[in-house]
Amino acid sequence: MKQFKLLCKSPWFVFGAAMFLFCIFVGVLYPMFSHTDPLLRGALPFEGPSREHWLGTNGEGQDMFSALLFGLRSSLFVGIAAGIFATIIGTVIGIVGGYKGGWVDNVLTLITNLFMVIPSILVLILIANSIEKRSMLLVAFIIGATTWPWTARAVSAQTSSLKNREHVSLAKLNGYGIVSILFMQILPYIMSYVFMVFIIQMATGILEEAAISMMGLGPYDSVTLGQIINQAQKTEAFSNGNWWAFMPATVLITALQFSLYVVNTSMEGIFNPRLRKES
Amino acid sequence: MTDAKNASEKPKVLLTVDNLGVHYKTRFGQTVQAVDGVSFSLAQGKVFGIAGESGCGKSTLVNGVMSLFIPPLFYSYGSVVVDGEDITKYDSERLRVEILGKKISMIPQGALNSLNPTRKVKHFATDVMRNHEKNLSKAEIYDRLEDRFEAIGLDPRVLNMFPIELSGGMKQRVVIGISTLMNPHVVIADEPTSALDVSTQKSVIRMLLDLMERKIFGSMIFITHELPLLYHVADDIAVMYKGKFVEVGESDQVIFRPRHEYSKQLMEAITKLSTTGERHSEGARL
Repeated sequence: MKQFKLLCKSPWFVFGAAMFLFCIFVGVLYPMFSHTDPLLRGALPFEGPSREHWLGTNGEGQDMFSALLFGLRSSLFVGIAAGIFATIIGTVIGIVGGYKGGWVDNVLTLITNLFMVIPSILVLILIANSIEKRSMLLVAFIIGATTWPWTARAVSAQTSSLKNREHVSLAKLNGYGIVSILFMQILPYIMSYVFMVFIIQMATGILEEAAISMMGLGPYDSVTLGQIINQAQKTEAFSNGNWWAFMPATVLITALQFSLYVVNTSMEGIFNPRLRKES
Repeated sequence: MTDAKNASEKPKVLLTVDNLGVHYKTRFGQTVQAVDGVSFSLAQGKVFGIAGESGCGKSTLVNGVMSLFIPPLFYSYGSVVVDGEDITKYDSERLRVEILGKKISMIPQGALNSLNPTRKVKHFATDVMRNHEKNLSKAEIYDRLEDRFEAIGLDPRVLNMFPIELSGGMKQRVVIGISTLMNPHVVIADEPTSALDVSTQKSVIRMLLDLMERKIFGSMIFITHELPLLYHVADDIAVMYKGKFVEVGESDQVIFRPRHEYSKQLMEAITKLSTTGERHSEGARL
């Protein structure tokens, strides 16, 4: 609570968090109350911004404003879910490997290193390509399953330094099981780090979703920000100078990344005692 | 008849350590015999003191008595019998469920850092109880915690505090409270007072003896490198040197009439005030 109060005193944190929360607010509320179907081809292709279509229409005559906000919701969903998956996978692998040590750690480190050296985007493309019907949740899981290694490595390093602390020994001596030690004694210690990792994983999730959707490998059941850019690419909006078909989605992805980056760095400034400026 | 009466009055033996040996394996494959052929037994209501210099194997012996063989520490030979069963034969899960915290508990060295700074005292204590008795309700747990904390002279409000809010002596009491929550047969206190000032040391020792008298735990192994301290605490004392017990006897005998050369030197090494007021000390020469 004290740290949250400190965070709220950081103008950069407030700025980043407000920006991200505003995106969530708009992305969640607009699709709930809007009666416009983002897939409805209700106008001519590439109409410029007007009173009826605030951000114009795309190459298929669909309203860009609706598409953008529906896309925002989907991208946020994929990003948050991918962040959760990656954080859970990375934290569990890291904490178990770091605590158990020995051959368990060796095997888990080997798997982590393998995932690290193979470019995740390549794995992502291959997996996404091999699955025909990709729901948002599945895409999020695929992203999460390929972006966890750095989390695992960092959590493992922290756990191996924590496992010999006196409070862990006392817990062991009093009959704590391994699950209790990991989740009651070690995880609370590294929770602030894990939360910061989650923020970064969320940003990575949004970016990776945009990347694979741009290649046409995104979810099949919804509009996402990446798919808007993919659509613009397919209908040659870039070469025709129809900026409204791709620029708002690009700006929105950049804004989401920027807000999460700012939140993460300002959190580091509070959670890391070496960087903390005492008031 | 008299023999039978004496036998029935004889306190129950809670722990028997017989010819216990444990060793470390170094990274380069060498074996270091850290505890070598140690034997003793501990009866209900008794305090067994172990004294010796730093590095003589006291803490390793504790791990051996608890059968906590975590590499690079390994079992060599001997037995540790609790309730008629040799616990060195138990696997780690059985040891955790049946022995640790329940039959043998430990107050570790450096107890001042033994509480998790991110969790309130009550959460740590609740977890200990839940690990042994899964079906306890929240109300039962808190009732027992409050009773126990009152018994160790702490306000139950301490349960709602984080370790950072407690003084050194309070932290030590909390650790003792947590370690004795399951009313163990044997408590092993590994230098429980080394980081405390003299007056707090005294009150902590008094509290431990009081808890034993009230049968909150059965008996105690008290480990320290301060031989004179044991005189006030222990019924029997063992002097440990290079992994072996070089002398075992009643506390009066070991303190005032030590037989072994090392015990004598350990007693001589204590800083004394001479009649002229000068301080002098002699180091152990072994």
